[in-house]
Amino acid sequence: MATIEQNLKPRRFDLARPSRQHLLGYILLAPAVILVALIIIYPLFISVDLSFQNVKLARIGSARKAFTLANYEKLFASPDFWLACWVTVKMVTAVTIGSLLVGVSTALLVNNKFRGRTLARLVMALPWAVPEIIAVVMFAWIFDSTFGLISWLIWKIGLTTELIAWVSTPGPAFWAITVTMIWKGFPFVSIMTLAGLQSIPDDFYAAAKVDGANALQRFRWITLPCLMPVLGVTLVLVMLWVFRDFSIIKTMTDGGPLKSTTTLSIMTYEQAFGFFKFGYASAVGVVTLIICVVASLAMLGRGSKAMY
Amino acid sequence: MKNLWKKSLIATLTAGFLVTSAVTAAYAETLKFVSWQNDDGGTGDWWREAIAKFEAEHPGVNIEFTKVDRSSYADTMTTLFAGGQPPHIVHLASFEYQSFAENGWMENLDPWFAKEGIDMSNWAGQQICRWNEETACFMLLYFGFMMAYNTEILAAEGLEVPTNYEEYMNVVRATTKDLNGDGIIDQFGTAHETKGGAGQYLTEMLNYVLSAGAYWTDKEGNVTIDTPEMIEGLTRWKTIIDEGLTPIDMSAGDIRKLFADGKVAVRLDGPWLYGTMKKGAAFDKLAVAYPALTPPLGGSSNVLGMASEISDDEKALVWDFMKIVMSPEFQRKYATVAGNTPPSPAADVSGVEKSVPHFNILVQTQKDAATAGVDRIPKGLEVQYGEFGKMVQEEVQRMLIEDLNPADVVKVIQKRAVEIQDG
Amino acid sequence: MNRTPLQSILLYGTVIFAATIILFPIFWLFNTALSTTVELTQLPPSFWPEEAQWQIFTKVWNDRPIPLWLWNSTITAVGSVILSMTVSVLAGYSLSRFSPRGSHGMGLFILTAKMLPATLLVIPLFAIFRSIGLIGSLWTLIIAHSTLIVPFTTWMLKGYFDTIPRELEQAAMVDGCSPLGAMFRVIMPVSMPGLAATALYSFVLSWADYAYARTFLVNSQGNWTANMGITTMRGEYVTDWNEIAAAAVFVAIPIMVIYLFLERYLVGGLTAGAEK
Repeated sequence: MATIEQNLKPRRFDLARPSRQHLLGYILLAPAVILVALIIIYPLFISVDLSFQNVKLARIGSARKAFTLANYEKLFASPDFWLACWVTVKMVTAVTIGSLLVGVSTALLVNNKFRGRTLARLVMALPWAVPEIIAVVMFAWIFDSTFGLISWLIWKIGLTTELIAWVSTPGPAFWAITVTMIWKGFPFVSIMTLAGLQSIPDDFYAAAKVDGANALQRFRWITLPCLMPVLGVTLVLVMLWVFRDFSIIKTMTDGGPLKSTTTLSIMTYEQAFGFFKFGYASAVGVVTLIICVVASLAMLGRGSKAMY
Repeated sequence: MKNLWKKSLIATLTAGFLVTSAVTAAYAETLKFVSWQNDDGGTGDWWREAIAKFEAEHPGVNIEFTKVDRSSYADTMTTLFAGGQPPHIVHLASFEYQSFAENGWMENLDPWFAKEGIDMSNWAGQQICRWNEETACFMLLYFGFMMAYNTEILAAEGLEVPTNYEEYMNVVRATTKDLNGDGIIDQFGTAHETKGGAGQYLTEMLNYVLSAGAYWTDKEGNVTIDTPEMIEGLTRWKTIIDEGLTPIDMSAGDIRKLFADGKVAVRLDGPWLYGTMKKGAAFDKLAVAYPALTPPLGGSSNVLGMASEISDDEKALVWDFMKIVMSPEFQRKYATVAGNTPPSPAADVSGVEKSVPHFNILVQTQKDAATAGVDRIPKGLEVQYGEFGKMVQEEVQRMLIEDLNPADVVKVIQKRAVEIQDG
Repeated sequence: MNRTPLQSILLYGTVIFAATIILFPIFWLFNTALSTTVELTQLPPSFWPEEAQWQIFTKVWNDRPIPLWLWNSTITAVGSVILSMTVSVLAGYSLSRFSPRGSHGMGLFILTAKMLPATLLVIPLFAIFRSIGLIGSLWTLIIAHSTLIVPFTTWMLKGYFDTIPRELEQAAMVDGCSPLGAMFRVIMPVSMPGLAATALYSFVLSWADYAYARTFLVNSQGNWTANMGITTMRGEYVTDWNEIAAAAVFVAIPIMVIYLFLERYLVGGLTAGAEK
């Protein structure tokens, strides 16, 4: 047997051979990795490099300055940094939970068969199709303190005695941004959830009904567990989006008032382009990256194999 | 990792090679000129006239005039410089150029002036452009504020145009009211920007701070915030906000539009307000007077410079453009086309008031601001202006939100300002 | 499905309520565009202007090079779709079929592209692209967008390919196909819904980008994408909100239209393979 096979073995490099399959796998994966590496490796290297120097305005290619830990020391001793961490955590939590609730509910809603369901599914995901910049423009106007619709509505209903100053009051500023982000972010959760829901075999539900389970129990014991992998990854992606987001906050509140909406991302920007302290900004950025990696691994931990 | 990087570089180089030829400009030479004023009525047109004249005199050279909006201007310019592709003609706000000059990115203009025998000593505001014993740029606009008001609103309350702080407060209080009885104020006595960058926020505050005789630093650069005058200045600002005499959380652009459409009684602003007034719904009811708050706010607005790391040929071309801008002809146009007070002492500004009625007021306030040594950039805090401004804005906002006593707030600001200055 | 009238009412009621809230900001955008600035600065806010200023659309269309912006956005999006689809189909297929050692790590590595704050990426990327000479060219954007898109689409496609039984390509290989041949000739046609969904997703992501466009296209007015164009409409001295809203309508409509046409592929594409 072996002799015959050896005789039949083609001389040329045959990618079909099992031992070569791994190589094929790497080759196919290479373009993606290279593309991402191009955009990540060099800036990451530069950022880490800068974070260990006392650099004000950076210049690519200029001479390196002395190695120093000063940026990191200043960072960990700075109350502003910890405040930014806290604000970021608050915002990530609020937006993630909000998007989750709205996203899963809308997905459950349109998973039912009813007339106009296609239309409903379209509407549900429309905010996702609207470019972020435009969404920000709309919401900034809606939340305008003097002439915006929301202030007036809340006042008219009688919840407040004067118009809420969204931008200059810490609490409302935070919520204005959170609401905007949830509006923009929930469709992604919706779509992913809907896809996940539709892959749950109907037999599961049929069997459960036979066993006498009601809607709530079916949800808890069948729907939720089956959705877990999809939700896990979706939530990580939402979380990373909030961590990184910059244009929504910058345009609506510019990190204020009193730093109540200054996330780590805004702080990085402010230090770099507002105060021209690139070394310090890089340190903040590197720390943000580490936090993101840790948080993602933690959330995906058990399910990380499920991801890739 | 290194191999991966090399591989990727080669891959992209090949890709890029395929298209770069399609991207190169058709002209022999292009000078890049980035600005935020391209779309502004008046100043935008003035720039375009200067560019047209330059291109007529230099066939084959074209100036690419690109707009970047003011809110992203600083970081865009920083990216361009730091990334190695600065614009040839550098247009910056007067408080921004210092960090660039500090890095050696601005060409020293002294030799250029000397070669042509140009004397800049009477050029308004030029002293602001001196940095590290060099001249890094020249002043484009050194201005004095004016006070614009709505004649109809004042007449409705039977009020005269105010000439001092007390009268000003009277007018502002009397004209802030709820017009249609729904319980919300829809007409304001005055209007100030309170949303947006620290620079503008401080400028709005300075109206009141100066009127109380205070300023951030003195002529030697020492911080002078913990003073009775500053306490009075902050109190005046606090009063305006607390009593609701101005709309809140609006940007400067929205404020000007509000005034131009007739919803505000009095607005203190620079010469550029006129361009917006002309387009407003209430233009025929608006008039200009000498500011009631003295000394009038004023100072440097924006500057023009040259990138230091471009070729000598390009520098010569940029210099030609600068000469056009500084020429008496275009300095006069700065008044007639843009309605601004030209900084050049050689500019002939006679007759401008025919097209810009309040021009003489502008000239007067410019002189008075210069005499009083007023500028929005505090001496001793030029490089740290961004951080300083943000800090002051934050502490003042804290004072407003938590209703703190100005006497305590000045101590905090003083302390933090000194920290920023030292390190 | 049997449903009591009450359940029907609840269902439709909830759907209509949700739809109204979701669509409201978009409606408000139209309202803002059609109002005069005087109307915009008064309270109570008007839910529809007294006289709808339809001419604002013609004015903005004439004042600003909107068709140019839309064209640039389209080219960039199409280019990004082609590039990222090519890359992520290969990568997704690899992860699905081969699970090479370390692919887990590489997968996570691809995800880290989304973790570094944009602020820190800006200057180094600018320097890289400048040294290659691509600054100002739409190619820079295409490459940059692809790096945003590839992490998502690789994962999406991997999941999709996972649902296609391996027997299909194994059968093809028995017939003499090479692995790559099997992939192209057998798997691709079957995956059309999934590919369409991923392509749509890539298009939307590219269209929505603003940060990269803002960084790389600063000096090239001729190459501005739609999002960049809109933000430059904010003047230093004044901002006409109705004009910006009108421009925003122009920019949002194409993407919404495309989305409307191709939406059914999106969810369907993600799950078609799973329907047994």
